Amino acid sequence: MDDIDAMFSEMLGEMDLLTQSLGVETLPPESPPSTAMETNFGSVGFTDASLHELEDNDLDALMADLVADLNATEEKMASERGMSKSSTLPTPTVNDFSFPSPTAAPAFTPTSTSTSTSTSPVEPAASTSPLPPPQNSKPSKEEIEAQLKADKIKLALEKLKEAKVKKLVVRVEMSNGSSKTLMVDERQTVRDVLDNLFEKTHCDCNIDWCLCETSPDLQTERGLEDHEHMVEPLSAWTRDSENKVLFQQREDKYAIFKDPQNFYIWKKDRNTLKDMKEKEKEMLLEENFCGTSIIVPDLEGLLHLKEDGKRSWKPRYFLLRASGMYFVPKGKTKTSRDLVCLVQFDNVNVYHGKDYKNKYKAPTDHCFLLKHPQIQKESQYIKYLCCDDEWTMTLWVTGIRIAKYGMTLYENYKTAVKKTSSSASWTDIVTSNASTPSPTPKAKAANGHAPKPAQESAPTAPSNQSAFPPPPPPVGILPPPPPDPGLPPPPPASMLAKGSLPPPPPFSMGGSFPPPPMDDLPPPPPLDDDEVEMPPDFMPPPPPPVMGFPTPPLPARGFPSPTSGGRPPPPARGFPSPTPGGRPPPPARGFPSPTPGGRPLPPSPSGRILPPQPSPVSLATGSPEGSLPPPPPPPPPPPPPAVMAPSPMVRKAGPPPPKRTTPVSAAPSGGDFMNELMVAMQKKRTPQ
Amino acid sequence: MAAWDLSVTVEDLGPDAPPVTISVTSDLHIGGVILKIVEQIQVKRDWSDYAMWWEQKQRWLLRTGWTLDKCGVQADAKLIFSAQHKPVLLGLPNGVTLRMRASFSAPVFRTVMEIGKVLNFRHPEELSLLRPVEEKKKKKDKKSEEEIYDITDIPLTSASVQCLYNGMPAHFADSPKTEAVYKMLSVSQPSPAPETLAKLYRPASIVDKTHIHTRWLDSSRSLKHQGIQENDKLWLRFKYFSLYDLDPRYDVVRLIQLYEQARWAILLEDIDCTEEEMMLFGALQYHIGKESQSDVQALTSGLEDLDSALQCLEVKMGGESSATEMLENMAAPELNEYLKILRPRRLTLKGYKQYWCSFKDTSISYFKSQEESLGEPIQQLNIKGSEVAPDINVAGQKFCIKLLVPAPEGMNEVYLRCENEKQYAHWMAACKLASKGLTMADSSFDNEVQSIQTFLSMQRTNPGAQMTQSDDNINTLSLVSPRYHKKFKAKQVTPRILEAYQNVAQLPLMTAILRFLQIWQGLPDFGISYFMVRFKGSRKDEVIGVANNRLIRVDLGVGDAVKTWRYNTMRQWNVNWDIRQVAIEFDGHINIAFSCVDADCKIVHEYIGGYIFMSTRGRDQSDTLNVELFHKLTGGHEAL
Repeated sequence: MDDIDAMFSEMLGEMDLLTQSLGVETLPPESPPSTAMETNFGSVGFTDASLHELEDNDLDALMADLVADLNATEEKMASERGMSKSSTLPTPTVNDFSFPSPTAAPAFTPTSTSTSTSTSPVEPAASTSPLPPPQNSKPSKEEIEAQLKADKIKLALEKLKEAKVKKLVVRVEMSNGSSKTLMVDERQTVRDVLDNLFEKTHCDCNIDWCLCETSPDLQTERGLEDHEHMVEPLSAWTRDSENKVLFQQREDKYAIFKDPQNFYIWKKDRNTLKDMKEKEKEMLLEENFCGTSIIVPDLEGLLHLKEDGKRSWKPRYFLLRASGMYFVPKGKTKTSRDLVCLVQFDNVNVYHGKDYKNKYKAPTDHCFLLKHPQIQKESQYIKYLCCDDEWTMTLWVTGIRIAKYGMTLYENYKTAVKKTSSSASWTDIVTSNASTPSPTPKAKAANGHAPKPAQESAPTAPSNQSAFPPPPPPVGILPPPPPDPGLPPPPPASMLAKGSLPPPPPFSMGGSFPPPPMDDLPPPPPLDDDEVEMPPDFMPPPPPPVMGFPTPPLPARGFPSPTSGGRPPPPARGFPSPTPGGRPPPPARGFPSPTPGGRPLPPSPSGRILPPQPSPVSLATGSPEGSLPPPPPPPPPPPPPAVMAPSPMVRKAGPPPPKRTTPVSAAPSGGDFMNELMVAMQKKRTPQ
Repeated sequence: MAAWDLSVTVEDLGPDAPPVTISVTSDLHIGGVILKIVEQIQVKRDWSDYAMWWEQKQRWLLRTGWTLDKCGVQADAKLIFSAQHKPVLLGLPNGVTLRMRASFSAPVFRTVMEIGKVLNFRHPEELSLLRPVEEKKKKKDKKSEEEIYDITDIPLTSASVQCLYNGMPAHFADSPKTEAVYKMLSVSQPSPAPETLAKLYRPASIVDKTHIHTRWLDSSRSLKHQGIQENDKLWLRFKYFSLYDLDPRYDVVRLIQLYEQARWAILLEDIDCTEEEMMLFGALQYHIGKESQSDVQALTSGLEDLDSALQCLEVKMGGESSATEMLENMAAPELNEYLKILRPRRLTLKGYKQYWCSFKDTSISYFKSQEESLGEPIQQLNIKGSEVAPDINVAGQKFCIKLLVPAPEGMNEVYLRCENEKQYAHWMAACKLASKGLTMADSSFDNEVQSIQTFLSMQRTNPGAQMTQSDDNINTLSLVSPRYHKKFKAKQVTPRILEAYQNVAQLPLMTAILRFLQIWQGLPDFGISYFMVRFKGSRKDEVIGVANNRLIRVDLGVGDAVKTWRYNTMRQWNVNWDIRQVAIEFDGHINIAFSCVDADCKIVHEYIGGYIFMSTRGRDQSDTLNVELFHKLTGGHEAL
């Protein structure tokens, strides 16, 4: 016991140290950036400030704060990991909670008054992690004490873990000039932030939306890639930086996947390539991205180079290879062995340069540059390149991105397409139900219920009172979304979520979710009688839907699938959603087509990867039959005549995502450590 | 029906034995002829593999049910009674020669499939056989003692069952001899000495590269048809670079042999690459070589190690159970030492200055002295995202680390000078990890330190001048192609390889091999087979490149691709066998026609058809190969 006591006090000591250093630790020691952002954005420093304030508060407050936050984020992370699909799951958990941060911490104090009580918010959290059985049959006083201590230790460790997570607050400028302020922690990818923004802005969520980093100093612009960790580029900004993050649509973001022929057969006239068939595009993608190795477009041509801090632009013949960017030295041929490497892409990013004709006397305004992300000022280490026209520049920039990111880019694209298809339906509903407040879990956090696992907290959270009128309870109505992880659209969840129900977070876990605890679901809000006809015979759809429904034929396109059909046919006029096509007899109002016109269909046809399955047909036939599941979609079209076929190569998993940074990697290990510690503690206890 | 005499040479009786004469009638079927022969020569053995070869017509009489009449055999026919499977010397992609039995009667395509089954290649359809390049006589005398693995004893039929025994197919587990063969197949070979490399033939131009492709055997005809004799040497090579369904779990032999073929292609400059790529290839070869060695050791020690491994685990677990110890371990490891630092500035000639340096997490802080290390450092360098390069000379006892630390204003150049190898290995490893955002607490730290030390010791025994070769030490020159032997000295190559090596040193063996293959496949010239052709209506020789998805026309004058046609726009292709011309029609009424200058146009035809065949794999989800389709696409008029 002494050991443990000693250990715990030691831990608390650690905690103290940590708390004191927190202000510093949340930020990279020698990147002044975030403080800088404070001055610039006025908002960026919030976290920082709040943490500083916390120093004066007692440890408990911090604990509660951290723990709550931790749980919220973990929950979120877990669900996000589980499903890379639906965008429903709000990133804002973290944000909104600590956003008005100086007040956030105090908000927690009521729930935890002393160190001992502070354990209470933790225990629910503990239940989510695999823990040794809590108590045995004869809980002696000693054992209870030990248990308490173990809990405390665990708690402390969790806090240690959470304390290491770096958070920044960033202001994102919208295309209309307004701005939104978000808090991002270092585990969030750009994709997460985009999803978050989709939710906040109700934009059309197409795949061209992009976060873009601009630097007025260098007059550069770079679309952040979806897999990047949002915090990383931000951490490179300097104290007095005027850099910005823009939320905008960029056509070149995924142009390579929409029209691969323009990049891979670029030597041909683009007009002749314009009406390339979808089939051939797919073939190109398969050839270049699905083999054992990624094929980089074989770009070459004359570009103007300015480097080493020199003023002049020198014309050189450049070639792009998977291993880097090369040029032909004077008097040599372009055989591989003679090429000189200008740069390899491991440590540099590619940026667009704006108005360089003026700034650097470039031959044209179509410039791009390669530099280490941390370089923020003019430097001899930046390589500036100038192209004859904009298209050439797009070719090069895209080619370099493919060489640098490889498979990851393609994965990003596929994820984006999936997400878009689901969130598009989502926004539609949102717009039609604009009055429904967004059911983000923030309120939970504010009420101190965050520690509870989401499933439990959702129904009970009284927090939403003001926001959500407690909806009437036709509880059983909601069958789980189709447990088919293979197909893209997990949209029903999101649709339900926004359209009628506050989303139970686990619900949106697309892929591998367990059937959601039905009884726990908050009932849908009152359905507007005008809009929805409840088919009389529908009401109690048998619970077996969970198992009973054959995997519903999700339309491969990924637009709102019929799967949401298990619930009362939601839509009516206001809802041009295709969902009614699902099993329940739709309100036969004459929109058998799941693709009502006039509504932006999420994925442009070119963006699709999956063969278009004729879902419309099956839906149409399926619907009149009442609650029968529609027939399975016809098999995909037979393979084309062998002779003209491309090589179907093996799909290969992409390169592993970039390694996470220390603090992150520390986090999971912290978890393990925690469990091991628990085991150790129990071992110690048993002999006594 | 009148009986007449048929004389048949029985090969097994020896070359001088007179032909056996039997009395037959025209309605006797081939099986009956064979029976008569066997009865007459009175040798008891298994004759099941034997068949009749008709010398004048160059034809196998394999249908035993056909009568002599139906086959057209008359009294003047010279028939040879011979085994269908005979040993050949197979040059494998890894350069090793293997003596094994191959079918002389089946089309080469099937022969290769059989070989693939025995050698445990998945998807042997990607491989084929070719006649080797003749070696000059003089050297051959010296090299005649070259080791030849022999697996002629392995019955061909047993290979069809794929069961594993001791990690290898059962038919290899029979004897130590066959086990050695399997090891040769599934473990990469040590690097060749730079001298041997320099002596081997290297294509100097794209025209040279066309030569090798004139040597492919015709897949639709048998070995015997193509004049191959017993114990002739043949090369087995990957021919179609549509690598289907590569899976490290099942494809050990295939991956290793593919790697070997790629490695040789790079070393012998058959495929061009840039200096940077060559260094990376070199580093990967070094790493793969090293890993394979240790892998083999692990394999041989086998189960005995299990106990000690378990014990090890126990100790580890026991150790971890002490919570206090774990807490101590939570403190990240640090490095604190005196090092010399140089910050090169323009127009100054400051030398190295000694500072107390402290490496913590991912940053280095330096102080005037150890005593001042509690205060503010002179500077702190965050290594995360930095470029880390070695700047060493083992012979000169120079161990520097060159750091390019990014800062908003650009990159800061910093040199750290270490006293000795050990210090260098630790600091270098720490820098390397920190540049990736990892700390010394990461599990790979110790490995990293170790691999740097090994690499250094390798150089110590190889100070450029003396080229002694031993198992442990590899001359870095043997990792790059002879072109770079001329360009650099070993001393210069080594640090460059070392630099590249740091990025791959942590890869497991199979991943490293896959990475090698990926980079190889990423080369612009990957997978293109060149043929010298003459286009219809043109009088000059040109080169056409056949790749897995396109045809490329190369103008020899320019030396560059001038036109590319993709197969998916191809409508049809025909061969006019009389004038030996290949005619292809593409979408949009584009027609091309060419004849081959030095290769048989059947080879080009087969290449195109073969690639189209390869692209159809996996469509029907079945694992069985559609052999008929292959022959349909590649056969031409005479085959089948």
